[in-house]
Amino acid sequence: MATYLSKRLGGLVLVLVVMSFIVFCLQAIIPADPARALAGPSAPPETIAQIRTELGLDQPLLVQYGTFVRHLAEGNLGTSIRTRQPVAADVLKYGPASLELIIAAMLLGTSLAFILAFAQTTMRRSGAVRLGMLAAGSFPIFLTALLLAYFLWFKLGWFPGSGRLDIRRFTGPTGFFVLDGLLLGRPDIALNALWHLALPALTLSVPIAISVGRSLNSALVDVLRQPYIRTAHGKGLSGGRIFLRHGLRNAASAPLAMLGLQVGLLYGNLLIVERIFSWPGLGLYTVQSFASSDLPAILGVAMVFGAFYILVTMLVEILQSIADPRIALQ
Amino acid sequence: MNPPETLNQIDAPILSIRGLHVRLSRDGRPNTVLDGIDFDLDAGEVVALVGESGSGKSTIGLTLQGLLPAEAQPEVSGSVHLAGHEIVGAKPHDLRTIRRGLVRAVPQDPMGALNPTMSIGKQLREGGLSADEVVDWLARTGLPDPARIAAEMPHRLSGGQRQRVLIAMSMAARPRLLIADEPTTALDVTVQAQILTLLKNLAREHNTAILFITHDLAVAAELADRVMVLYGGRVAEVGNTRTLIGAPLHPYSAGLLSARFNLDSDRGRQLGTLSTEPRRPRPDGAHCNYVTRCPLAEADCAERRPDLVRQQDGRQVACFHADHVPDLMARSREAPPWPEALAGDANALELYRITKSFGSGGGLFQRPRQTQVLAGIDLRIQQGECVALVGESGSGKSTLLRIAAGLLAPDEGDVSWFGGVQPQVVFQDAVAALTPWLTVDEQIRDRLRPLGLSRAEQTSRIAAALELVGVDPALRKALPSELSGGQCQRITVARAVIVPPRLLLCDEPISAMDVSLAAQTLNLLGSLRRRLGMAMLFVTHDLAAARLIADRIAVLEKGHLVEIGEPDQIISAPQAPYTKMLVGAVPRLAS
Repeated sequence: MATYLSKRLGGLVLVLVVMSFIVFCLQAIIPADPARALAGPSAPPETIAQIRTELGLDQPLLVQYGTFVRHLAEGNLGTSIRTRQPVAADVLKYGPASLELIIAAMLLGTSLAFILAFAQTTMRRSGAVRLGMLAAGSFPIFLTALLLAYFLWFKLGWFPGSGRLDIRRFTGPTGFFVLDGLLLGRPDIALNALWHLALPALTLSVPIAISVGRSLNSALVDVLRQPYIRTAHGKGLSGGRIFLRHGLRNAASAPLAMLGLQVGLLYGNLLIVERIFSWPGLGLYTVQSFASSDLPAILGVAMVFGAFYILVTMLVEILQSIADPRIALQ
Repeated sequence: MNPPETLNQIDAPILSIRGLHVRLSRDGRPNTVLDGIDFDLDAGEVVALVGESGSGKSTIGLTLQGLLPAEAQPEVSGSVHLAGHEIVGAKPHDLRTIRRGLVRAVPQDPMGALNPTMSIGKQLREGGLSADEVVDWLARTGLPDPARIAAEMPHRLSGGQRQRVLIAMSMAARPRLLIADEPTTALDVTVQAQILTLLKNLAREHNTAILFITHDLAVAAELADRVMVLYGGRVAEVGNTRTLIGAPLHPYSAGLLSARFNLDSDRGRQLGTLSTEPRRPRPDGAHCNYVTRCPLAEADCAERRPDLVRQQDGRQVACFHADHVPDLMARSREAPPWPEALAGDANALELYRITKSFGSGGGLFQRPRQTQVLAGIDLRIQQGECVALVGESGSGKSTLLRIAAGLLAPDEGDVSWFGGVQPQVVFQDAVAALTPWLTVDEQIRDRLRPLGLSRAEQTSRIAAALELVGVDPALRKALPSELSGGQCQRITVARAVIVPPRLLLCDEPISAMDVSLAAQTLNLLGSLRRRLGMAMLFVTHDLAAARLIADRIAVLEKGHLVEIGEPDQIISAPQAPYTKMLVGAVPRLAS
């Protein structure tokens, strides 16, 4: 286990180095001048030159890359042109909102996946379920988001359509509002936060539920046909016990990998969903950075999500090896 | 056990089957699989259920456990009475109680029958054992270091060890009936013998009745008090093991017996076989199910259905012409001799100091180990000669075959073929060795492409090759999925010999076959190699098959060639201790 972890974390560092290089090259190639962007369109050339010196943009590229990597190692992702804050500080500010949304979407998606897989595996005629999954799976995410918002917020008013809370200017110790509400002894805040989470989390969970559900269903169908299931029946165990103890665990590997993949690659959908539901997280932050060509911000967030993807993959591999002892972590 | 059952035990049989009919659906079409079975089993009795695949023998086992697959939409009628409980129509809850304590099964494939993600000990405790009892039962099955085994995960154990675990799991419930469905077919010969002995001893000790399902009469003979021969879902013959095997009264039992080869079979001639491949019987009609294959069939067999009739010596036979069966047995001993062999002096295959190692294992805390699979093998096969390579799984015999075929490069050593032409290979799994979307014709025609024949010439060569292996040339247009396993094996042989190779390599071609099919395949390969003058390397774990097919037997033990020689000499006077053990483990017909 220790060897595995050190190997994987080493891999993480390597991937980050490669990503940083690509990111740096992009910065150098793209004909946007951060100094001019920072100084503003009407600034005199002397001011721009001064900013260039301050930012080290007059140094040779290799030296600039050295500085860039040194800053990265110190947790410095550069300064956002739009917010004029360090990108790292912005990530810390908007990250919890996104992470809270991702976790909610993951939990919701997994539960829905279980229900779908269960229905498909146990029902005699599962054609309707399959058709529904196919239809839902073919919807682009922005359409799902808009339809959910239109019906559940605009028409029925069951759930709020934007923001994280009804209270403005709320700050909590962790930035995860559901958790903060509980920590502060304010269950009303926790509930309100959950209520706001519903629509964006549900939207994000649809592709997770469908892909993980399908993968779990086909794994279950295969596992329940294995001879050891017959052995378990032969012992006179109950159907429920056989399903839980002998079926589910053996079917876990493929859907876990699928879940990891889906969660790791949530970034793209997060941009759309946070924009539509005005969710103040890293997705919305990225969209706003696009609008103002805020390259340091965009690239900083991309690196954070790259690292997130690797961590999720690692977690999935560990979970797989726990579920199936034949899988050795290497 | 509780008193009422003890009363029952004295006179009533532990298991009583009356008029059992089972229909199972396959692809939406219902099929009668069991067609009126009547049968009793006494406490502690061992009965072998013998028949080819498709005879319904495994279905009986599943019916007794109430475990017929739901997707086959089973329709069961009749009565199965087990130790005071009716199984047909029982509620799921009652069936579970019955399975927990009264009837247990030992499966065919021990590799797949244990949950790979649960430790051995946990899987045994699930059946209601304490941790101490688990270790105790594992010890009783002869497993070394039972405490360690209990903590292991299944994939760490060998097939033989897993089968012992499964036997412990079943016997620990102290069932009244144990169903053993071909429990040794997936195991090595030496392990087979140990498992059979273990089953027999445990059953005797606990007065457990065993229903032993097998296609092999010799295995049945070693273990069973009585034998029941099943054909097309009906009982063909039931009787005391010795009398039935000594003088069968049903033509099907006679056919099974004459197709069964052993270490005493006549090497000078071909094996007796059952007439044709099993055709799908028409069980609902008023006729004998065996009529389409029976050499004794007469007009009445197609018009009336023979009932099971008790004979003077107590056995029961369902045949109108049982009195002609002794003549049939006598005739079957005069199978045709082998054709004249063509031979040459040159070596068809030369293996010189072949070594091969594989990396294996390697986990979190270990580096992968290099395991030597072959250690300096020298082997020469002359033109027209057949050498059988025998050994247990893990002895390296399949690796050597793949090296001889040029499919795998040795680490060291040389492989040379006569004329430098690569040999042809016949694999164990014939169905997997054929491309599923190509017709028989297309698969075979590929081999003729380099010869520059016209299309008409190719077609006539293909027809001749199919004729040679005994497949109806009308099946040229069939896809592999439309053929039986035996037909597929014949197609692979036809594909290999249509351009007669100097050397044919066969990897366990008969190990997954019923006795009758195995005998037919041995006859086919034995005749072809003599007629075409092919040299042959025949890899098998079956010494009896090796002795029949080969001119010399080579014994492989853990990558070393420990003995090589003329078959009867190896079998009557084995030199190496390993060969002695292999010879001793072959089941024989008690006669």
